[in-house]
Amino acid sequence: MIRKLRSAGSLTADLPIALAGLAIFYGFIALAHYWTAPVHAQTQIDLSPSALPRYAMFSVARIAVAYFASLIFAIAYGYIAARHARAERLMIPLLDTLQSIPVLCFLPGVMLSMVALFPTTQFGLEIGSILLIFTGQVWNMAFSFYSSLKSIPREMREAADLYRLTRWQQFMQLELPFSAIGLIWNSMMSVAGGWFSLMVCEMFVLGDRDLRLPGLGSYLQTASNAGAMGPIVWGIFTMIAVIVLLDQLVWRPAIAWSEKFKFEQVEASETPGSFVLDFLRRSRLLSRISEATIVPLREALTLHFARRHGKQRAIARSPWPARMVFFAATGAILFAMAKMAALLTKLTTPELHGILIGAGATFVRVELTLLLAALWTIPVGVYIGLKPKLAALAQPLAQIAASVPAPALFPIVLLLLIRVGGGLGIASIVLLLLGTQWYILFNVIAGASAIPADLKEVCGVFHLSEFERWRKLLLPAIFPYLVTGFVTASGGAWNASIIAEYFKFRGETFSLTGLGAVISRATDAGNFPVLVGATIMISATVVTVNRLLWRRLYRLAASKYTLELT
Amino acid sequence: MKPPKTEELHTFVTHGDSRRAAEIFARLDPEVAADAFLGLPWEDQQTLFGHLSADFAAKLVPAFPYFHAFVLLHTLPLAQMIAIVDRMNPMELANFLDELPQEAWQQLTEEIKGAGAAATLARAPEPRAREWIIEARQVEKRFDRPGGDSIQVIAPLTLSIEPGMIVAVLGPSGSGKSTLLRMLTGLAQPSAGEVLWHGKPLAGPSPGAAIVFQSFALFPWLTVIENVEVPLVARGIAHEERHQRALKTLNSVGLKGFETAYPKELSGGMKQRVGFARALAVEPEVLFMDEPFSALDVLTAENLRGELLELWLEKKIPTRSIFLVTHNIEEAVLMADRILVLGRSPATIRADFRVPLPHPRERTSAEFLLYVDYIYKLMTQPQLEARLPQPGKPAYRPLPHARPASVAGLVELIQDRGGKEDLYKIADDLRMEVDDLLPVVEAAALLQFVKSERGDVENTGAGEAFAAADIESRKTLFREAAMAHVTLLQQIMRGLETKSDHAMPLEFFRDTLQKHFSDQEAERQIDTALNWGRYAGMFAYDSETETLHFETSETRDK
Repeated sequence: MIRKLRSAGSLTADLPIALAGLAIFYGFIALAHYWTAPVHAQTQIDLSPSALPRYAMFSVARIAVAYFASLIFAIAYGYIAARHARAERLMIPLLDTLQSIPVLCFLPGVMLSMVALFPTTQFGLEIGSILLIFTGQVWNMAFSFYSSLKSIPREMREAADLYRLTRWQQFMQLELPFSAIGLIWNSMMSVAGGWFSLMVCEMFVLGDRDLRLPGLGSYLQTASNAGAMGPIVWGIFTMIAVIVLLDQLVWRPAIAWSEKFKFEQVEASETPGSFVLDFLRRSRLLSRISEATIVPLREALTLHFARRHGKQRAIARSPWPARMVFFAATGAILFAMAKMAALLTKLTTPELHGILIGAGATFVRVELTLLLAALWTIPVGVYIGLKPKLAALAQPLAQIAASVPAPALFPIVLLLLIRVGGGLGIASIVLLLLGTQWYILFNVIAGASAIPADLKEVCGVFHLSEFERWRKLLLPAIFPYLVTGFVTASGGAWNASIIAEYFKFRGETFSLTGLGAVISRATDAGNFPVLVGATIMISATVVTVNRLLWRRLYRLAASKYTLELT
Repeated sequence: MKPPKTEELHTFVTHGDSRRAAEIFARLDPEVAADAFLGLPWEDQQTLFGHLSADFAAKLVPAFPYFHAFVLLHTLPLAQMIAIVDRMNPMELANFLDELPQEAWQQLTEEIKGAGAAATLARAPEPRAREWIIEARQVEKRFDRPGGDSIQVIAPLTLSIEPGMIVAVLGPSGSGKSTLLRMLTGLAQPSAGEVLWHGKPLAGPSPGAAIVFQSFALFPWLTVIENVEVPLVARGIAHEERHQRALKTLNSVGLKGFETAYPKELSGGMKQRVGFARALAVEPEVLFMDEPFSALDVLTAENLRGELLELWLEKKIPTRSIFLVTHNIEEAVLMADRILVLGRSPATIRADFRVPLPHPRERTSAEFLLYVDYIYKLMTQPQLEARLPQPGKPAYRPLPHARPASVAGLVELIQDRGGKEDLYKIADDLRMEVDDLLPVVEAAALLQFVKSERGDVENTGAGEAFAAADIESRKTLFREAAMAHVTLLQQIMRGLETKSDHAMPLEFFRDTLQKHFSDQEAERQIDTALNWGRYAGMFAYDSETETLHFETSETRDK
């Protein structure tokens, strides 16, 4: 009976999978055709809704390519940093710094070099755009992989060493599975970040050049430049649809699948499920393809490495190649530092003032945003978190709301605010809020729902007033979660300030005093000294705030406000 | 006369010339003879002991450790044994009987009366040439500290593992048992000295070793059979053969039918079976076990021990030797043919002896309890051998990690039992592992509430007063005892007295402690000192600012 059901299920499952395969194949051909075409001086963005599916495909392809590049880079970077103590000392602080640099700061360098490399085809621009998206996605994934590798339990490592697992086998059977969950969650965040910066990455002015690539981001930006409300709404709608679709088709199955990599001793009672994953698992076509290709390939590779490993064991490897790489990297960094210093000497005094004042203004704006976000998310989050049924209902809705990239909504917000008499000052804070409040809300909900029932009962038994209840139980209990939320939100807000402080709308450029605006303007004008100076400023501020404020709060949260009694 | 060489005696015995060896012995001073005798392999000892004259044997017996003498005597026919006991000097016999635990003493007196049946012990197996699988030569382990200092965890230590034996290593927690195991397998490098496998120095993990871990260390994303296949894959064995070997091993540990289960679906005992199967699948020459039963409940652990012993005794596994690290004394006596007892900081071998009892061993038998009692005695005796003083570093006596309430509980319990009790009985009654009990006994002894001697604990006068006192006076008594005997607390109090504001940062003491202990141990020392000091109302501690200060005068003088 069960067998029959399975085979019937697999027939219905196989047909859509085969069709999807063909569609993906066609997509590849279309992309290849477009990428090798000669460069257009000025790509015209078609604002009719019928162009949207094509643009959406281009954008998804760009984000996907950037994502896979990020994944490979992140794994390589994290692996080297975790395996080599000397490299680690250099690579981890570097990662910290790179993570704090907004995508836009990379733009001129990346774009100019790519256009110079491929002057005749669209390829150069495309690669540049993909590299930009890559710079926004890669760092947190690298960090996640690195810290997963570092937290592999000692006895697991020892078992791997003792049974002489090859590097390959350790990677495939221990390291990759152990870090899978962290990598998947960070992948989701990274891709969300890709959507966030899509408008910047697909259309930009570089000195006297106006460069644009066909895609959802450039569509939205062109629409907002023209102030065309209809296309803006269509564009946002398409973007949300694509994001929700990706969530259902890619991320949910990935999360459900990664359940098996949870490092736990006992089985969890509730596990996330995904109908798409069930569908794929039932497919006979897929399992046959996998049995004919992946399984034997994996076996052959593993045995190949194991046998080679057995033979080569005696040969000691020379330390020289590693040393050469190390010296080359150090040399390159020193050279870049010297160049940068030379560039910085060209900064004029007013420009320097602009950077410093801008940093102060953006700092105030970011902190104000965090305060506003906390003011509404803490009560609402606690209220939702304390009611499990409500939480189950609100969570998916909030997730969809959070997945909409704030810059896409910006034109609408700006339009409404201008109508009621507000300016970019308020609009920028609204945009920052849209981009950051969700991190805090999700964490507060998680914190509130983790409060043990007996502690809640204690408040009831001793008749604590509402004020006392917040002071004694709720605020301390959500504190660690709140700090986590703030850290993410703070990083996100600094990044978003670049878009929020400088915006082109209906042919006008709206701009505020702020570091973000300084960077955007410098990019537009191709003013490299200011760009470098402002980038150093923003990176230094973010890293300093992290070190001085968030890390300390983190430690306090971990030592005093954890709900563990041991 | 010079003592004979062990090798020479061994040659006589193995060539059936025991009589000649016995003659050489008879001419020696009993103390010297006993030393030489104990240096022989157990099988030789048995043979030789049977050939000694009853008169000489009677002189030799008091020079042996009492438990060894007891077991050795029982290898002889009853008449011969009684003949020896009869010829013993009455004073020495009384001492010998006094040292024996009650059960052993009773058995012996009954046997001498002729009422008891003679204990049946395994006959000596064929003597064989000595061969070492592993030799550790002067291995030691130090951990470097940032300041250029280093902390010695394992003192230079020499040890050999021979085939055909289960070797158990016992020691208090933090005594470096696991580090020793990792050095023998090649997972960890010794700081000095070398580890040889079949005479060849190790470079990297030994191919002949497998480990069963306390935490199982299974890959949760692989099925049971995939987990067992992991080490076989690493050896480049193709799928079909790998699968067959894994299946065979799984069958032998009773996991048939669980091949496709994931570890998280299994109970702790079943998980550890997978751990055993993975280790046995590579057919290791030496099977290492790092507290393999500690994470399991009592019944499951007992069951698994039994099954492992069965596999071993019936030679169903090709393993030639088993090396078991444990903190459970009974487990060691139940399973091992040889027991090593390690001392602490730095680890040294305090005792290394055979357990020549036949399997299956009875936990309630006199011989069994003899060994359990002896190990308790060893572990509670203060370490006699002086630690090598390190230049510029005064010896620092560590605080035992026990809570004041546990100390009070122990003292009360002993008072209820009439002021004196056997340690292993306390451990048994309280169902406490020796690891948990020993720090409490050490703490009570440090405060001089109890005297711990030869495996017994006895309340002192101060202990009796402490047991009888009410809560408030107990704190006073505890404070007085701590001020008199605990160096760290004395230092803290003196430090606080000299400061005008009577406050000191904890960091100061942490720095001092880190000169003597590892960071982790220094932290534990601080925790224990804070715990004791706060209990006794000696000082208060503010965890936000990490400072110590005197209790305000009104609370302290009350």
